[in-house]
Amino acid sequence: MSMSTAATATLAVTKVDAPTIEYGKLSPILIIAGVAVVGVLIEAFLPRPARYRAQLTVALVGMIAAFGAVVWLARDLPDDHRGSVTAMGAVAVDGPSLFLQGTLLLIGIASVLLIGERRLEPAGGDAFAPQAAAAPGSQQEKDAAAAGWTQTEVYPLTMFSLVGMLLFPAANDLLMMFVALEILSLPLYLLCGLARRHRLLSQEAALKYFLLGAFSSAFFLFGVAMLYGYSGSVSLDKIGVASAGAMDNDALLLIGLAMVAVGLLFKVGAVPFHSWTPDVYQGAPTPITGFMAAATKVAAFGAMMRFFYVALPGMRWDWRPVMIGVAIVTMVAGAIIAITQTDVKRLLAYSSIAHAGFILTGMIAMSDAGVSSTMFYLVAYGFVTLGAFAVVTLVRDARGEATHLSHWAGLGRRSPLVAGVFALFLLAFAGIPLTSGFSGKFAVFQAAARGGAGSLVVVGVLCSAVAAFFYVRVIVLMFFSEPKVDGPTVVVPSVMTTAAIALGVAVTVVLGILPQPVLDLADKAALFVH
Amino acid sequence: MIETSSLASGVVLANEGGGGLHSVAASGAYSALWLVVGLPLLGALLLLVGGKRTNAFGHILGTAMALGSFAVGVLMFVTMLGKDDADRSVDQHLWTWAPVNEFQADIGLHLDQLSVVFVLLITGVGSLIHIYSIGYMAHDENRRRFFGYLNLFVAAMLLLVLANNYLLLYAGWEGVGLASYLLIGFWQHKPSAATAAKKAFIMNRVGDFGLAVAVFLMFTTFGSFDFADVLGGSASASDGTMTAIGLMLLLAACGKSAQFPLQAWLGDAMEGPTPVSALIHAATMVTAGVYLITRSAEIFNASPDAQLAVTVVGAITVLFGAIVGCAKDDIKKALAASTMSQIGYMILAAGLGPIGYVFAIMHLVTHGFFKAGLFLGAGSVMHGMNDEVDMRRYGGLRKYMPITFVTFGLGYLSIIGFPLLSGFFSKDKIIEAAFAKGGTSGWILGAVTLLAAGLTAFYMTRVMLMTFFGKERWKEAPAGAPADWHEPHPHESPTSMTGPMILLAFGSVFAGGLFVLNESFVKWLTPVTGFSHGDLPMSEWAVTGMALSMVALGSAVAYVQYARRDVPAVAPAASLVTVAARRDLYQDAVNEGLVMRPGQYLTRLLVWFDNRGVDGFVGGLAAFIGGTSARVRKVQTGFVRSYALSMFGGTLLVVACTLMARMA
Amino acid sequence: MHLVYPLVLAVLLFGIGLYGVIARRNAILVLMSIELMLNAVNINLVAFDMYLRDTLHAGQALTLFVITIAAAEIGLGLAIVLMVFRNRATTDIPELRELAEHKEGSV
Repeated sequence: MSMSTAATATLAVTKVDAPTIEYGKLSPILIIAGVAVVGVLIEAFLPRPARYRAQLTVALVGMIAAFGAVVWLARDLPDDHRGSVTAMGAVAVDGPSLFLQGTLLLIGIASVLLIGERRLEPAGGDAFAPQAAAAPGSQQEKDAAAAGWTQTEVYPLTMFSLVGMLLFPAANDLLMMFVALEILSLPLYLLCGLARRHRLLSQEAALKYFLLGAFSSAFFLFGVAMLYGYSGSVSLDKIGVASAGAMDNDALLLIGLAMVAVGLLFKVGAVPFHSWTPDVYQGAPTPITGFMAAATKVAAFGAMMRFFYVALPGMRWDWRPVMIGVAIVTMVAGAIIAITQTDVKRLLAYSSIAHAGFILTGMIAMSDAGVSSTMFYLVAYGFVTLGAFAVVTLVRDARGEATHLSHWAGLGRRSPLVAGVFALFLLAFAGIPLTSGFSGKFAVFQAAARGGAGSLVVVGVLCSAVAAFFYVRVIVLMFFSEPKVDGPTVVVPSVMTTAAIALGVAVTVVLGILPQPVLDLADKAALFVH
Repeated sequence: MIETSSLASGVVLANEGGGGLHSVAASGAYSALWLVVGLPLLGALLLLVGGKRTNAFGHILGTAMALGSFAVGVLMFVTMLGKDDADRSVDQHLWTWAPVNEFQADIGLHLDQLSVVFVLLITGVGSLIHIYSIGYMAHDENRRRFFGYLNLFVAAMLLLVLANNYLLLYAGWEGVGLASYLLIGFWQHKPSAATAAKKAFIMNRVGDFGLAVAVFLMFTTFGSFDFADVLGGSASASDGTMTAIGLMLLLAACGKSAQFPLQAWLGDAMEGPTPVSALIHAATMVTAGVYLITRSAEIFNASPDAQLAVTVVGAITVLFGAIVGCAKDDIKKALAASTMSQIGYMILAAGLGPIGYVFAIMHLVTHGFFKAGLFLGAGSVMHGMNDEVDMRRYGGLRKYMPITFVTFGLGYLSIIGFPLLSGFFSKDKIIEAAFAKGGTSGWILGAVTLLAAGLTAFYMTRVMLMTFFGKERWKEAPAGAPADWHEPHPHESPTSMTGPMILLAFGSVFAGGLFVLNESFVKWLTPVTGFSHGDLPMSEWAVTGMALSMVALGSAVAYVQYARRDVPAVAPAASLVTVAARRDLYQDAVNEGLVMRPGQYLTRLLVWFDNRGVDGFVGGLAAFIGGTSARVRKVQTGFVRSYALSMFGGTLLVVACTLMARMA
Repeated sequence: MHLVYPLVLAVLLFGIGLYGVIARRNAILVLMSIELMLNAVNINLVAFDMYLRDTLHAGQALTLFVITIAAAEIGLGLAIVLMVFRNRATTDIPELRELAEHKEGSV
């Protein structure tokens, strides 16, 4: 092979600089990675009874410290708010990275509070199987349950996933993006299969999520290879330079961008790559569903924006029509299918699909306003979603969570506070004024209209109306129907779930009434480093 | 900001070109303005979020918050008295609410001569009703929640009248709707209460829709929600737009103020606890429509068509309510019909333009006193009569509850317009204003108001006679009484209930006199609403004389019918008109026939078309979307391979479209 | 060697893998098909790396990462399949469809 000898020769004459890494700028990611490793060590060396507290403490302290690091880095950003790249151009530390990392860490804190909840199961324990490897109902499992075992591996798994999420929107080359994608996905596949109740459903969800996730990774990677073949680099900046003047002979580029986009669209659950969403959201343990729904979306949209804004700004006339089509189909399908849902978790899943469409609307604007409105929407949406799933964990009957909507009839009579909080979240999903949902929708629609995607805004508003219908239907069901005699009870949670829900309520209300500070922050953080 | 512009009509506006719009930023004592809304809101939050922990002191806390709000309101009023007309209105900017930078909506409060009147009425009467409720609800286990809702109600109403832009006003408007729903349905265990609450809620939605459309129209026309921008710019907008906005505002007012054709909820709303009825009817809720129209004076001034519609609606409702009131045997429903009619007076006056605004508000205030007094009196009677509401089972109660009798009696004299009592002055002014409108329409409106005055005298005398005079009909067991029926023991109510009634009676007697003395009320409000005298086609004395003779006639007929003869304990068979009036002039049937039935048929038709349609869905579009949804969701088969296939298909599509986008 | 040969080979492998994912019933075979797709990408990457004479050898580096991650992924995938197999005694994917839109009236 003559090519290989040539390459060897090139290798011999080129001097490669040893990579320099600014650890300080990567500190949020590194802290969480460290926490995850410490979590593994805790599993290995601490006696079983001590693990729960240790894991919870380490995870929470670590995330708070990482959040502090994000704030510290954000204060250090130069005055023009443009950040810098580090780790040899592989990781960008700029406004969008830090804004989304901060959001992810806050969502992570709330999620770990939900995961750590141990008051809801009547027999004690958390939402996870005492021993996931054991078959449900087997002697082995009974022994594990009798011994009061609980699975504290979920904390390091969650932390590993969070590492991937923090890295995903900051990844400045496609290699790093792929690595981050896998780091965030692999632990999630496992976490999905660990539910204490309805184990078969949970495992089915894990397998489906895994197979389809790996399938989509293959597409993503194929696209990466194409882009690499076109531009000779995996760095987003270099792809951006190479694609800026692309005129002809660029099938590689177009196929590559389309297939990378497919991989990212799969992660955010856009139609037609959404089919895993309802099944997985329904089957996974609810705290994990909440984490996944909120955080994955934030991370994946961050990566998607960086991909399109940094690597392909010159190609906008090629990808925008396609993405507009995807956004429209996503909004319409999500809103319409949600209407006939009878399961709360599936309803929220379809609602998250519809919201993926709304968020895409902001991204398509292709402007600073588009970036800032999308990021604002992600904050608003993340906390509402997490809060909504947290409420779902509270409504229970003898078989665990009562997720069928018919069980929720008359909940407003039985527990006005919980039903009221859920109603607030639904109103925020629907985008009613004075909730965060309205501010977010208004911002993305306005950005899209400015960006010349008027048709998208019209469809978006219509879909919001359809979506409002099914949200309000649930509210009506909760407050205007007679409660069932054998209906579910609302379990009083510990302070952890309460805190997570309270955080959701606070963000929803504050971003609805006083959105300006966060909007300003998102505006300042809207510049990608090139 | 608006007051100088609205000072009067377009002339001033044209001269100043709208440049004179200003209002002072709140400072000094005014800076406490936000507390007026904040205190009851805080009370509601504490009581509703605090839960059972606040059970012990909930009623005290709720009342204290209402009184505190009243105290701040008085402080505002006193501060305002000490200023010149030009400096009396203030704006307090709270914060900027803006989803996007270009779309600025300032959350701020606006206090001027008009809103301070409402503040005093709402917090004053509201506080009295809070105090009264302590006694009235003493035995209700959910008293704390009740006070939480009351505080919420008061806070929402205050927000409505203090907002400095239509968006915030809308928030208050919705808040009032929500609180009224919660309060009317407070005794949810009674199915009738739950139904009534729903009815009120839905009818109010229809009205709210009007307000929402009006607000959108304003924003598209003027690019702002602020009163100052919208009202200041009203001269520049096209007539068509102004008429559209005006009619939508009227629709909103009809819903909230129970005007024809959205009045049906008001009678049913009596299912709530009596203090709620008093609050809804006297101080909050129903007055919101009058406030909205008066506040939007410039819009209506700019559109004679919308004004005409307002007067027509008012005129119809005045008579409608009065006729219904003549036939009701339920004391609260009779009073409810009377409210409808009296609000009709106000709406009618507000539709007359600058000749009427001031008197609409004046009647609103005097009505606030005497109607609250009458409702609390009715509550007191029910309290002593085992919650009996049928007046045919009352009679001769004056001996047993003297304080209630006297205070109720004073309210009664005031509402029928007995000379020199509050109601006399305010109603007389509206009748004068109606005649002063001039032309044929002025004569018609004047005649309507006069006729209604007579009818008012008739039905209120009837209520008075059936309740406090005549034979003691409650001593005999009613036909078909349950086995455990026992004779009620009428007794006077506790001080916490009679106290507020006495205070309100003072208002019913003296308020009107104070207002007309030296034309103080007119002078007070003129800077905000504008005022013109109009040409009365006859002397004022002639109008007063006619009004008084109508009142005397009405009372005399009632006396002959209900005092000279015995009142049967069961409603006798009656003429067609009476039967119709007993049934609210068939308004429910009309609503059902005109709105519900066709809607149902349409739905059925659509469902029939969509024969594979979804169960449980009603409503045309919903059924269509639901049907689509049911079909589309079948794609979600649960097969991983079909999911993978759809993803692959999607990928092919995305790739193909991307390639094609380049070629196209 | 012309670039087109490895690329065609890669596309063929990718297509076979894709077919396997869609057509195979057995979860293990589906996993193997996904591996095939990933390896097709590896061929692409290495071919491009050689063709472009990339001094940083990003393509080869990425290939190494893909191999590593694919190994981790297959390990995790087998664990999940094993878990399912223990409970159901089958790895037949089409039988896993309890999570789906079931025929049900709406509320």
